[in-house]
Amino acid sequence: MNILVVLRMIPDSAGELQLAEDGRSIDREWLDFQLNDFDDHALEEAILLKEAGGAKVTAVAVGEGANRVLQMAAARGADEVVALQCEEDAMISSREIAASIAAMARAKSADLVLCGVQSSEDVFGQLAPYVGALLDWPHVSGANRIVANGAVLRVTQERGAGVAVTYELAAPAVLGVQTASKAPRYVSGSKLREASKTPIGRATPEPSGLERAADIITLRLPVQGGSGENLGGNAETVADRLVSILAAKGMARN
Amino acid sequence: MKLIACTEGHSSKIEAFSLEMIAAARSLSQAGDKVVAFFAGRDAQAASASFGVADQLIAACAATSDLIPAETYARLLRDVIAVESPSLVLVPYSANGLDVAADIAARTGWPLISYVNEIKRDGESLTVVAQMYGGKILAECAVGLPAILMINPGAFPEATPGPIDTARVRMIDAEPALTSGKVKMVAIEVPDYADVDLTTAERIVCVGRGIGDEASIDLARNLATMLGAEIAGSRPVVDNGWLPKLRQVGKSGQKVKPKLYLALGVSGAPEHLEGMSHADLIIAVNTDPKAPIFNVAHYGATCDLFDLVANLSDRLRAGSGR
Ligand SMILES: Cc1cc2nc3c(=O)[nH]c(=O)nc-3n(C[C@H](O)[C@H](O)[C@H](O)COP(=O)(O)OP(=O)(O)OC[C@H]3O[C@@H](n4cnc5c(N)ncnc54)[C@H](O)[C@@H]3O)c2cc1C
Ligand SMILES: Nc1ncnc2c1ncn2[C@@H]1O[C@H](COP(=O)(O)O)[C@@H](O)[C@H]1O
Repeated sequence: MNILVVLRMIPDSAGELQLAEDGRSIDREWLDFQLNDFDDHALEEAILLKEAGGAKVTAVAVGEGANRVLQMAAARGADEVVALQCEEDAMISSREIAASIAAMARAKSADLVLCGVQSSEDVFGQLAPYVGALLDWPHVSGANRIVANGAVLRVTQERGAGVAVTYELAAPAVLGVQTASKAPRYVSGSKLREASKTPIGRATPEPSGLERAADIITLRLPVQGGSGENLGGNAETVADRLVSILAAKGMARN
Repeated sequence: MKLIACTEGHSSKIEAFSLEMIAAARSLSQAGDKVVAFFAGRDAQAASASFGVADQLIAACAATSDLIPAETYARLLRDVIAVESPSLVLVPYSANGLDVAADIAARTGWPLISYVNEIKRDGESLTVVAQMYGGKILAECAVGLPAILMINPGAFPEATPGPIDTARVRMIDAEPALTSGKVKMVAIEVPDYADVDLTTAERIVCVGRGIGDEASIDLARNLATMLGAEIAGSRPVVDNGWLPKLRQVGKSGQKVKPKLYLALGVSGAPEHLEGMSHADLIIAVNTDPKAPIFNVAHYGATCDLFDLVANLSDRLRAGSGR
């Protein structure tokens, strides 16, 4: 089985996000870029599938810091790593890159394309259904367990309230991974150093073929706070206040 | 113009957000417009008993399946789009919608905006507000029609449920599409809520990724015990195996409405807020003053959660005379 797994680099949104001067994007200059969480799970699931039944895993990374993440992917067990060139300092739109991923899936004779279920920059739509539709392959998003039995895949999908639905489909297919069957593994420094010698292939993007016809006009920060009260940042005074707030509601004793 | 509101159901039930999609379409429709509710499910009873606010219901039903896979749903919807030529298709941000919206967008070439909270119509074009970066940024987007929008559950109030008369219902047999579909549903697992049911809990202490590691969960658990609260977690905490799945709050976890919700190190991504924003009293502790959890919190503190837990635990212990 040939597995293509897509790794998108996105800004660390736990940090402070500032708007760029054009008002239509965020200032990427000082941001930390990290692997999209869900893509990390997709990579793990690809490696788990390889370990379970044998597979060749090709990891393709897009965005700032792609090389670093590809070395990590190689250290975790990816057989081939490729960086997809993208416009510098632009947010990664899955709608834009879908055609490139589809072309690569064909070129690599992929049986399975895995990516994260979403990325927080994906305002124009999600990658798995775009790639699935472009290839006319079946696609399932929100996958949290994938079992391959030859070309037959069993995919479990999360619904609300902890309900899980399992589907059967035949490869080739595209899956949007929510959670890997096991938490993503850590790799040792020595493995990472060893993997740093893995040659990184380059791929040039294909035109998306889909007209955008929708555009971001402005970005803004949500109005902060709403009607909530800010108790500040001193843990002792906050604790005092919380005890009296809770006591007033009969949920604690002063 | 025509607007299609996509609705969903499982077994003989409809998903509550279906009524939100219809309300959103209704709020955009003007004189002469038509709101069409598209439903795919086992039978049309619940849909035709509830979707009266729509002008028409197109129901694709297959009695043999409790759930129509998204692939089949999308194919049925594509056929409906081909016949109805709508200007706008509203898809809920749900497990199903995640596969349907971009599939349709890719096959029609229409624009798609996801995670939409607000829609303004100006004649034949729209301005929508969508959430990005876990709710930390709002994007105002211009959308030319025809278009697809994926709507956040909870962004629009539910339409009042009421029956739609049979003259306004068009039934489609979904069986052929279901049998020829490439994605087959083989099992539905419903968890045993006997262990813990957060939906009935009166007090909840929820830990997010900020808790850092598994060992620290105990600190929060002790605090929860002192408060008579259940312990819960955000998705990454549960994904890491630090808390069982039934203790996850949010879109793919439990939807809770306790009297007290204490969130420790939770950023407040839209998928988390979907499960808890209606709690009576929300207290959030997060070192990042820009964390979106503060947008729904009644009280917010920007101190370190470990300092807060230690201090609060001390005071509660003292208060209980121990
Ligand atoms: C289809 C789908 C379904 C999903 N369903 C769910 C769901 O059911 N439930 C859910 O929760 N998520 C769900 N998510 C994931 C969601 O998008 C977020 O990724 C998730 O909620 C983030 O969890 P978090 O807030 O714990 O982590 P983060 O976003 O990483 O936030 C951690 C926070 O902790 C703060 N922090 C760190 N250290 C400290 C400290 N010492 N003291 C105080 N604060 C600190 C940080 O400032 C940060 O704000 C879903 C996503 C998708 C795509
Ligand atoms: N039989 C089912 N098939 C698919 N999804 C379900 C099923 N039962 C529950 N769910 C999901 O779990 C959520 C809660 O369902 P309920 O407990 O019926 O309100 C729903 O929104 C569905 O997404």
